[in-house]
Amino acid sequence: MTDLLRLLRLFRPYALWLLAGIGLSVVVILANVGLVALAGWFIAAMALSGLSGHLIEYFTPAAGIRALAILRTGGRYAERLVTHEATLRLLAALRVWFYQHLEPLAPARLQYYRGGDLLSRIRADIDSLDNLYLRVLAPTIAAAATINLIVAFMAAFSVKIALIDLAGLVLAGVALPLATQRLARWSGRRAVAIRADLRAGVTDTARGLGELLVYQAAPRQTETIAALSDRLITSQRRQAWIAGPAAGLAGLAANLAMGLALIIAIPLVRRGDLTGPDLPMIALFVLGSFEAVAPLPIAFQALGETLAAARRIFSIIDTEPTIAEPAHPADPPTRFDLRITDLSMRYTPDGPWALQHIDLAIPQGGRIGIIGETGSGKTSLLNVILRFWAFQEGSITLGGVSLRDLRGETTRGVCAVLAQQTYLFNTTIRANLHLARPGATEAELHDALRQAQILDEVHSFSAGLDTIVGETGMRLSGGQARRIAIARAFLKDAPILILDEPTEGLDAVSERDVLAALEVLMQGRTTIMITHRPQSLRLVDRVFVMERGRLKQSKG
Amino acid sequence: MANAPRSRAEAKSLEAWLRGFTARVRIPLTATIITGAIGGVLLVLQAWLLARIIDGVIIEHRALHQVWPLLIDLLATFIARAIITALTDIIGFEAAARVKRDIRRLAYAHLTALGPAWSRRERSGDLATTLIDGIEALDQYYASYLPQMALAVFIPLAILVFVFPAYWVAGIIMVITAPLIPLFMIIVGKGAERLNQRQWRKLARMSAYFFDAIEGLTTLKLFGASRAEAQMIADVSDDYRITTMAVLRVAFLSSLVLEFFATISIAMVAVYIGFALYYRDLHFLPGFFVLLLAPEFYRPLRNMGSSYHARMEAIGAAEQIVRLLATEPPASLPAPTPAPEPALTIRFEQVDFAYQPSEPILTGIDFTLAPGERLALVGPSGAGKTTISQLLLGFLHPSGGAIRIGGTDLRDLPPAAWLARIAWLPQRPTLFHGSVIDNIRLGLTADAAAVRAAAAQAGADHFITNLPQGYDTIVGERGQGLSGGEIQRIALARAFLKNAELIVLDEPDASLDPATAALITASVERLARDRTMLIIAHRLESVRHADRILVIDHGRIIESGDHASLLARHGLYATMSALRQDVPA
Repeated sequence: MTDLLRLLRLFRPYALWLLAGIGLSVVVILANVGLVALAGWFIAAMALSGLSGHLIEYFTPAAGIRALAILRTGGRYAERLVTHEATLRLLAALRVWFYQHLEPLAPARLQYYRGGDLLSRIRADIDSLDNLYLRVLAPTIAAAATINLIVAFMAAFSVKIALIDLAGLVLAGVALPLATQRLARWSGRRAVAIRADLRAGVTDTARGLGELLVYQAAPRQTETIAALSDRLITSQRRQAWIAGPAAGLAGLAANLAMGLALIIAIPLVRRGDLTGPDLPMIALFVLGSFEAVAPLPIAFQALGETLAAARRIFSIIDTEPTIAEPAHPADPPTRFDLRITDLSMRYTPDGPWALQHIDLAIPQGGRIGIIGETGSGKTSLLNVILRFWAFQEGSITLGGVSLRDLRGETTRGVCAVLAQQTYLFNTTIRANLHLARPGATEAELHDALRQAQILDEVHSFSAGLDTIVGETGMRLSGGQARRIAIARAFLKDAPILILDEPTEGLDAVSERDVLAALEVLMQGRTTIMITHRPQSLRLVDRVFVMERGRLKQSKG
Repeated sequence: MANAPRSRAEAKSLEAWLRGFTARVRIPLTATIITGAIGGVLLVLQAWLLARIIDGVIIEHRALHQVWPLLIDLLATFIARAIITALTDIIGFEAAARVKRDIRRLAYAHLTALGPAWSRRERSGDLATTLIDGIEALDQYYASYLPQMALAVFIPLAILVFVFPAYWVAGIIMVITAPLIPLFMIIVGKGAERLNQRQWRKLARMSAYFFDAIEGLTTLKLFGASRAEAQMIADVSDDYRITTMAVLRVAFLSSLVLEFFATISIAMVAVYIGFALYYRDLHFLPGFFVLLLAPEFYRPLRNMGSSYHARMEAIGAAEQIVRLLATEPPASLPAPTPAPEPALTIRFEQVDFAYQPSEPILTGIDFTLAPGERLALVGPSGAGKTTISQLLLGFLHPSGGAIRIGGTDLRDLPPAAWLARIAWLPQRPTLFHGSVIDNIRLGLTADAAAVRAAAAQAGADHFITNLPQGYDTIVGERGQGLSGGEIQRIALARAFLKNAELIVLDEPDASLDPATAALITASVERLARDRTMLIIAHRLESVRHADRILVIDHGRIIESGDHASLLARHGLYATMSALRQDVPA
């Protein structure tokens, strides 16, 4: 519930759009109910008047019928436009809000949520929140408002009928959907779990078909998949056996409400408390009123999903950033020598130390290399220097200024980083380069690409600098992507260079190209390079070995 | 919100494919249509009973007790309709479930037939989405769209049969307006579809923008661009909103037109009936009966709008499935003759390979791998080394030349029999969702002791016993995470357990730290003892002991010989070796 309130607070700036959409939904439902009820009243009144010879004023109801028909269709169109407009406005607001909260957490806090899983989950959850208004809020609030009006109107004729209508509406719109959900919860969860197993199975097959064939496990895997598919259908069948009767019962509730309304109204007509035309009007009105609750089963179902999504999104957002920015940030340093004194850090307050008593001094323009096994703490050191993670003990100074006194952005602003996982955005090469220096001229871009030894290759692409790269764009080889990242580093022109296994995963020839580019880049810059490659270590002055969080100068 | 662009002809052929499956579910599908039709008839009956009750009370001035029998009949109709509704849903589910199961089996079998060379090039996540979510998206097509299409014809016709005798003017109004609804839907729908197609690409790229920014957040932060990005996201989302609304304004027109005709027609029927009653051209009973039927006449037509969505969704999903099924499996000759097991002398005779004739991957690969020999392939990434191993495994077939095993063409060997003789360690081994012991065993039958022995030889026993549940620990995508080196060692344990004559290793030590790489290299040495081995090497260190090294570049063998002789040639091998400096001289 608190999650829902938090979401609603986010929606506040768009309240007018949201309310307009809901208002229009109410108008549409009422116009629809009114249309059938008025039509029933009208023809009964016309028939009775025809039979009795009494003249009636028929222009108003006839015009009313036409007006309601137009109101209903036009209103429906307007409602759909307004609710979608509201949804899209919310979507924009949600994304910006989410991004702004995520930004201070990256990358430190996000490392808990591993890789693709985090992204696909965020994607699904944000999509689910996008639908909150359209699928949940608008129909629920509109139904609540409409039910009030409908019951109040009926009460003007008979309180009993109004109460029966209300009971039917609550039964069909609230009680039945909730009961159905409760009954189907178990098989629903099962279906979700089986689907996940099936997905894992098919993914395994796609990735490991070769091994399945070589190790003669393909028939077994086929059987597993077929069995999972059958089990999925079994659990879905249970859901269908609940949903089908529930739909039947919802219809029955509406019909019974109308039947009971008739039984109550008929004696009233006989007594003269109600007029003849009132009878068909009441019958059709009660039956029509159930249109208000028709979207509620789907809304209730979506509500559960949406709240779960909101909870996950909030749990990410509510994480404290690891680093508190200084209240009074110092001026950016003017020298770029790096001094680390007795530095220790760990990721959790009671976890093992990832770095212990590190001492390291690099003069401006100095270059050091760090080698060490996976998990020895090399990447932790870089995370600390880049102010992605906090450190608990010791100090780091840059040109004599403590990193704790500098804004994280300032520190990162003087560092160019080339990491193993180079992220190229899903856009043109040009836009990827502009990231490092917005407004760079064409000549500057060419220069950077030339120095990174990739200019000729970029020219050979048919779209040149406008080639789209990244997931949906052109596939670059590992070496090409790495060199574009180097070009970015050239453009950034930062005094400090941080290289995290810059040639890992490249073949010998690509490695040679990348190293040649790096050699130029390192000229005059303070450099820290993590690598296993002896060839790369030739480029540095001193080599350190990292072992279980401790740093030692290499003898060699 | 929008569907991918496709031409009408494509949509038609996809729908024909979807309809092809109805033959297998004729019985449940017919049953849903029948129950739906019974539901329609009950609806008419309910309207008739209701009309008689109201007519009895307000025209004939009957008392409640006089209309009780009718009220009882009405109650019975209500109950019958509720049962029919439930049955229609349940039977519809069965029809859809059978089709989904059949298509999933078909698609999975095809995926297996396409082979590993194909499946590894695809994104595994996309394939899973096609086989699971894609097939689930077909559900409503069979469960509701197809029956409703049939009922959209039957129910209005059935209603007309009752309306004409009751009040022919209303019947005429209905007959004239009914065809206008689908007609206008098609006209407006066509326009919307064109617009949709034009905007689709743009929309897709815009929505991708946000997730791209999140994925690259660290990079944005490193360039100090992360905070300004929020504004970009706002701008892009705003742009997205404006473009989408332009599409929706037109797209919603089709339902506007539909609703407009249906509603105005009902209003017209009501007004006409009213005046006919007023001038006593018509009795109340038939008049009211027709009024009750009028909305029901248009309801199936209006529902077509929402069913249309189910259809579009199914066609969209079918597109992915059909694309998978339409991919030709690598040409294999019909029924290979079960030849006696040929001796393990492997000859590549002038083998060429290309996916497209214009882009050859391998050209004139020619070498012999004698029993017990250790042959290494080295060369720059993308040179074609992995393709050679896939050809040897039979996952790909040469486009020129032949591979002979002891004189028999590899194509003539039954694939299963050939693979039974090989242990293979791919570049990135797969950890299947399941226990460690099942992951080592895979399709082989072996007791726990044998598995443990194999794991010990692969240097994996130690870390496996330290896992939370030891050999029973669930690993894989959704299980315990293992490091790259640990996965490699599990894959090696598979090879040890299989005890095959031929070992194929694809860059077994790529992207591992030196200590782990050394461990793997030592295990590989043990594995290679007394066996024939083809090893694709990333680190030259691991090939120094090979009997022969082939240097591959641009799909050709450019050098061959042992480590010392290749160094002496001062060719690519010597250059690579000097570049790496991994090889102590």
